[in-house]
Amino acid sequence: MKKLCTLVLLGAFSVSMLTGCGSKLSDEELKQLEDLKAEVTSLEKEIANKDAEKQALLKAIADKDAQLAQCMKDKDALKSTPGGM
Amino acid sequence: MTITRILSAVLLIAAFAVSAVAQELTKDEWQKQITELTSKRNDLKNRLAAVQTEIDNLKKQDADKAAALKTCQDELAAMVGAEEAPYAASLDKIDARLNELSRLSNQDLYARRGEVDSVQKWIDAAKQHRLSVLPKYADRLKDQQSRVDALKRTLQQILESGQGMQAYTVGTWAKDRDCLWNIAKKPKVYDNAFLWPKIWQGNRDQIKNPDVIHPGQNLKIPPKAALTSQEKSAVRSYWNKKQAAAPAGGTK
Repeated sequence: MKKLCTLVLLGAFSVSMLTGCGSKLSDEELKQLEDLKAEVTSLEKEIANKDAEKQALLKAIADKDAQLAQCMKDKDALKSTPGGM
Repeated sequence: MTITRILSAVLLIAAFAVSAVAQELTKDEWQKQITELTSKRNDLKNRLAAVQTEIDNLKKQDADKAAALKTCQDELAAMVGAEEAPYAASLDKIDARLNELSRLSNQDLYARRGEVDSVQKWIDAAKQHRLSVLPKYADRLKDQQSRVDALKRTLQQILESGQGMQAYTVGTWAKDRDCLWNIAKKPKVYDNAFLWPKIWQGNRDQIKNPDVIHPGQNLKIPPKAALTSQEKSAVRSYWNKKQAAAPAGGTK
């Protein structure tokens, strides 16, 4: 009975060791994965920055459009006055 | 034998622990993550390139707009010439006077009511200027006009409530030639002799006969306004009595 118990324990130990060793990843593979994750994070940040830059440019263009429209309106108003050019 | 059992149990636990750590990421899972991340990285790179292209285009648009705006502003400046600075200064002057008048008490405002009319004249003149068509000045003039209108409304309320009533002390005929007609004619009173019935009707308690006032009498001067129907009626009655009392063939 004691022998049987010891055998069962040894059997379980061997199976667990075999299972663990069979699927273990190399350091190089793990580094590859980490590098890829870091690259993706970096790209996401870069895109967020570019999106902000794009929004700022769109706002600057809209402001200039408004100023230009006002300027044209002023010019037209002055032209339409009797003393206008 | 017991030691062997304990040792076996410890070994078994350690083996399970080691295998559990190693099994956090299997080869298949690693491969799956690598595939997903590679795909995501490629998508992000494409998206980044697209955003960069958009940004380049927007920068070009922004530069073009800036150039167009500068051209327009230069042309506008050439059209406006040197007129703008003095014109803006005249509007500043109107604003300053309006601020001053708006801060006055009702009594002080009534005393300086002539200035409200002056400001109205300045605004009317500013409206005639060709720069008044520029929206920024048109808006400003509109605001100034509404402020003058508000002051006029306040003055009207002062008049209606009698807060603007002044006093006048009758002088001697020899020196001041004071009679109701002449008092009403004085610029600081009504500047209009035909409004004398207002003084009479405003002082019925001390003027029974409008032809008779006495030096030293303190008369209340009602606010300047057109004669009311009651005042007109009093004048008619006065002239009728005067005519009736006049000798036959007289004119008054």
